[in-house]
Amino acid sequence: MADTVLINGPITREIISSRIDLLSQKKELGGHSIFLGQVRADVKGIRKVKAIEYSAYEEMAGKEAEVIKKAILEEFSDVKSVDILHATGKVMAGEVSLLILVSAGHRQQAMAACSKTVELIKEKLPVWKKEIFEDNTHEWAQNHLA
Amino acid sequence: MFMEINVLFFGVLAEVTQTTFRHYRNIESFSDLLHRIQDEFPEMIHYNYRIAVNSEIINEDPELKNMDEVAFMPPFAGG
Repeated sequence: MADTVLINGPITREIISSRIDLLSQKKELGGHSIFLGQVRADVKGIRKVKAIEYSAYEEMAGKEAEVIKKAILEEFSDVKSVDILHATGKVMAGEVSLLILVSAGHRQQAMAACSKTVELIKEKLPVWKKEIFEDNTHEWAQNHLA
Repeated sequence: MFMEINVLFFGVLAEVTQTTFRHYRNIESFSDLLHRIQDEFPEMIHYNYRIAVNSEIINEDPELKNMDEVAFMPPFAGG
């Protein structure tokens, strides 16, 4: 059974700390790399982003997340686990929309694999974002891949 | 053989078509489905998208089966 990848609403501090709490049980691991993607209050012309509304192709997102995890575990032999959590629905500026948690025996691979996971998510996860501005107009945004 | 196909629209395409789901009957082939969709939503021609059949992105015209799920997906924007 695949882990849940999408949650409704922002990734709260409580969710983030509960994931971090679980790490202490993994005593054979020496490095955890965490990436938190946060909604940025971008300014476009005279408009400022107040929130992003995310939507996703749920079934495909679950499958793609598993493909991404498998690819990371194959490429980085020291990495033991990859956690991916993506928000759907409305996420306000300053709130967290993406959590990646990569655990490895040592720091180098934890950090490299975490960075690679973020890039793969941006490229392959079927998620869309609608930027909602303070004047309540909106615009569909697109990822700029590294 | 005529098929029934479920079609999903995501992101800006859901806004343009004003729907996230359409059920098509009497579809003969993938190109028949595309023509039906283009006729119904001519404004889609202005947008970039990829197509997935049963959650797998396709690059060429697939052989559709009855009750397949065909998704129209604008460029991804996760993160």
